[in-house]
Amino acid sequence: MTFVSHNYFCQIVEILAERIPQTMTEKILARASGQAFVRAGQEVEARPDFVISYDFPGYTDVFFREAREEFGVEKIDTPERFVLFIDHMVPAANPKEEELHKITRAWGAAQGVPVHERRGIGHQVSAELGYATPGAFVVHFDGHVSQLGAFGTYAFGARKGVLEAYVSPSMAMTVPATVKIVITGALQPGVMARDVFHHLVRVMGPSSCAFKVVELAGPVIDAMSIEGRQTLCGQAMFLGANTMLIAPDARTLAYTKDRAKLDLAPVYPDADAIYERVVTVDVSDLEPIVVIPPSPANTRNLRDHVGLEVHAGYLGSCASGRLEDLRIAAEILRGRQVKPGFQLHVVPTSQAIMAQAAREGLLESLVEAGAFLSSPTCDYCYGRIATMADKQRAVSTGTLNTPGRMGSVDSEIYICNAAAVAASAIEGHIADPRPYLSGVRS
Amino acid sequence: MTLPNLRGRVAWVFDEEDYDIDLIIGVRNIKITDVRELAALAMSDRDPNFAASVQRGDLLVGGRNFGYGHPHYPAMRAMRHLGITGVVAESFSPGFFRGEISMGLPLVTCPGILTQVQRGDEIEVDWSNGCVRHLGRGSSLPLQQLNAAERQTLEAGGLIPYLKQRLARSAGAAP
Repeated sequence: MTFVSHNYFCQIVEILAERIPQTMTEKILARASGQAFVRAGQEVEARPDFVISYDFPGYTDVFFREAREEFGVEKIDTPERFVLFIDHMVPAANPKEEELHKITRAWGAAQGVPVHERRGIGHQVSAELGYATPGAFVVHFDGHVSQLGAFGTYAFGARKGVLEAYVSPSMAMTVPATVKIVITGALQPGVMARDVFHHLVRVMGPSSCAFKVVELAGPVIDAMSIEGRQTLCGQAMFLGANTMLIAPDARTLAYTKDRAKLDLAPVYPDADAIYERVVTVDVSDLEPIVVIPPSPANTRNLRDHVGLEVHAGYLGSCASGRLEDLRIAAEILRGRQVKPGFQLHVVPTSQAIMAQAAREGLLESLVEAGAFLSSPTCDYCYGRIATMADKQRAVSTGTLNTPGRMGSVDSEIYICNAAAVAASAIEGHIADPRPYLSGVRS
Repeated sequence: MTLPNLRGRVAWVFDEEDYDIDLIIGVRNIKITDVRELAALAMSDRDPNFAASVQRGDLLVGGRNFGYGHPHYPAMRAMRHLGITGVVAESFSPGFFRGEISMGLPLVTCPGILTQVQRGDEIEVDWSNGCVRHLGRGSSLPLQQLNAAERQTLEAGGLIPYLKQRLARSAGAAP
């Protein structure tokens, strides 16, 4: 009797769950915590489908050591859930860096965990390799993993808290509330996903989504490339958000069809899901932006800074350096020259992207214009190489513009889209890319 | 079990919104690993006497979205080494919040704090009564309570002891 009623009860719960409106986050974390449904604010223990890390001193080397020495974990239970990337300090510049990579390779080999190196920036390669499975729950220590949200994957940067995933099957967390942002209108030529993100920071505020998840929707997202969506979702932390999600569409599923690592049903938000708030942002009048130092909170219209002298340009990082970025930069630079003395660094985000850019002739155009082309690496983004001296100034598609991030604390970083980096490289000062683009009224 | 009260002087007031904590030691110094070296650098760009002026038990006060950017760990390692026992702020950037709770550093969200205190004032964080008191004036402001995992992490003294307790509990509960 008890048995029957328990089954009956479970059926009722399942039927109810069908009818309980949920956000994407609630659905993904419900599955990951083995429940029919969860609500924002509920504390759960959720099992990550994948645990992604790149090797970095103080992080992976410490996780490996602490898992063994503090928790007695000689062998992790489910190595198929883990993956490591070597994308920082590539290539190594000193023996100490290479020693770290050796530790990573050895740990991966001993544990049966794949180590991908020299394939590109891990957040991009994770998508290429199918860790960005729609509906999956993914953790990393680095918050820019949120860009897997472009594929409907809940990807969360737990910082050192990711140690929990190394020593325990699940992670304790509070189900976050969701802010839905509907982006309406249409983007003008020369305005890119990067501009849209920093416009959201401008109109909503840099802490407007603190501890929340953002679900993006609306015609601008529908029309946006996968690459643009990755760029948008990857910057979620600068709205304060835990992560950012876009419901899969035909474009997403075409990308993930032969890649997805797990056979999971894609997750969609219910029409009557409960959001903390719904914000509509129209971007029809949006023009290219620039984010001025010292923080990603400072979005400005690029036109108000045109003419400011710049010495270096960086096109790359997990927030750019994809094909659409390389294509627009090549279109602007083709048949033109980088201003003498200006240092333009172009770093495709993955080997796959670099190879495709070669096939399309983009690399040729960029190199002939005077760009310094590098194989994929994270190292330009944080000033490990291409380091600026005092009083120098860069335009950059990197993630962040904190003084000192790309060299001297007395150097400056102006964040902008890839087209603006290319145009500024020609002129040697901050330049509006639109006059260089076909189909744009001057 | 409740968290012990924090009582101390305000060693610094960061009144900037969206403060990037890497600036505490200077971005150029974030690769330094020696904690004494880091501690000596803390706030030295703003006040060369800062490190010498901190007393064990002192607290920091921050503005809105304290810890915005890429909050690396060395800045608060330096502050803890100097004797800082917590940060009270208008609000915290989530990445910073998670990272420092993991390190066992009490972080107290207390809207209004910035207008109530100055450097050198003595304050008390009273978790059980849910408030931050200005000891000189006797005034108080409500604080936002932590969730269970955050509170247990601080009670345990950081992520590693907390995880050990949690794993021991779930092992005990297994059939």
